[in-house]
Amino acid sequence: MNYFCESLWAIFIKDIVTEFRSKQVLPTMIVLGMLIVWVMRIVSESASAGNAVMGAAALWISLLFSGLLTQERSFAVEEHADCMSGLLLAPVEPETIYIAKLLVNIIMLCVFEIVVVPVVFLAFAVSVDGRWVEFITVLLLGNIGISSVGTLFSAVVGLARTRGSLLSIIVLVILMPMMIPATFALLQLFNAIPTEISGIGTLAFVGSFDAAMGYMVAFDAVFVVACWLLFGFIIKE
Amino acid sequence: MRRILVFSAFALLLLSTWMALTLGQIAPVKRNILYAHVPSSVCALLCFVVLLIASICYLRTGKEVWDCVGAASAEVGAVFATILNVTGMIFSRAEWNTWWTPSPRLITAAILWFLYVVYLIIRTSISQSQRRKARVCAVFGIIAFLDVPMVIISARFMPDIHRPDFSFNSPWQSAALMLSMLATVILAAALIWLKTDILKNKTRLEEETIF
Repeated sequence: MNYFCESLWAIFIKDIVTEFRSKQVLPTMIVLGMLIVWVMRIVSESASAGNAVMGAAALWISLLFSGLLTQERSFAVEEHADCMSGLLLAPVEPETIYIAKLLVNIIMLCVFEIVVVPVVFLAFAVSVDGRWVEFITVLLLGNIGISSVGTLFSAVVGLARTRGSLLSIIVLVILMPMMIPATFALLQLFNAIPTEISGIGTLAFVGSFDAAMGYMVAFDAVFVVACWLLFGFIIKE
Repeated sequence: MRRILVFSAFALLLLSTWMALTLGQIAPVKRNILYAHVPSSVCALLCFVVLLIASICYLRTGKEVWDCVGAASAEVGAVFATILNVTGMIFSRAEWNTWWTPSPRLITAAILWFLYVVYLIIRTSISQSQRRKARVCAVFGIIAFLDVPMVIISARFMPDIHRPDFSFNSPWQSAALMLSMLATVILAAALIWLKTDILKNKTRLEEETIF
């Protein structure tokens, strides 16, 4: 266990330090996220729907697409000078590499959110009425879910001729079900929909805020565990 | 053997179509699309189960045949998922006057279709190493299957524009549905078998031309 933590920390801190020294992807991510938010604001200029609805949509879309940038990077950096072989030859389990890369991607998304979430609040004039703890929890659960699948498949992006676009379709299609409770939770926090919803449709499908959180926790747990177990197969030559 | 399967599937399909058009017709004629819609949904889900099993077997044994089975079931599943979505849309337009609405089951059926299509895209876009491609596809097959329980749950338990309490008036109607279900499942099995053989021969041919 101690060894696991040490090797995890070593890979984690290596990635974080290289990223913060080279500033390869974080500025691009943040600018892309802000651009998505502003484009959404401009196209929803005359929308009859409330701004909170578009705000929630803008937040998740910018998270999904900017998240792809950092996930694509997580194993692309290892291609240079054949670092991947070094990483695989190092006496660590492949699962440790996965968890370390996952943590890096989650941290990157958190840093991204520190900048982009205020932009969403400004652009769409939304507020969470002091429910900051819930709001941060929803964002964190979203970060974990978005990063889990992307980190797993980023290891094979180098194999594909189409590179990043392959990762984007994989991540988006797998994450589609999670976006239902994630959107519901944000809409609740932005006071755009009533607390309990019944009847027909996607929002009634989720039901209440607690159920939405439950779905997200279940989704994160299932996908992190599954990706963690399958990572060894993906990375083997 | 396979020929018998295909012929019996077509004979059963003809029989069930005849039955659906005569003895087992449902009151407004447009609702008879159910006889194509329900079996294709069942087949689309069954193909995913086959894909999951083939993926797990490939990762455990590394035998190429399981990769071929997975690819074949994904292709057949994509066909049935397309039929499922198209017939659903046609019916929805006729019955509720809208092509598509964001209700749980419609969303999950769309997700099912996208999962198959993405699986097929992954297969075509990785060309460097046959073995790694097969492994990546198998891993995607397993991860994608984790989305499938949502499809089943939404089809059975969620409030939706579909009515789960829908029941038939006559035994002929349920007989026609059962027949078409059986025919479609046999057809799907025969198609998977055929496609697996084609893929197996293709890889063997490629290996022989290389060496």
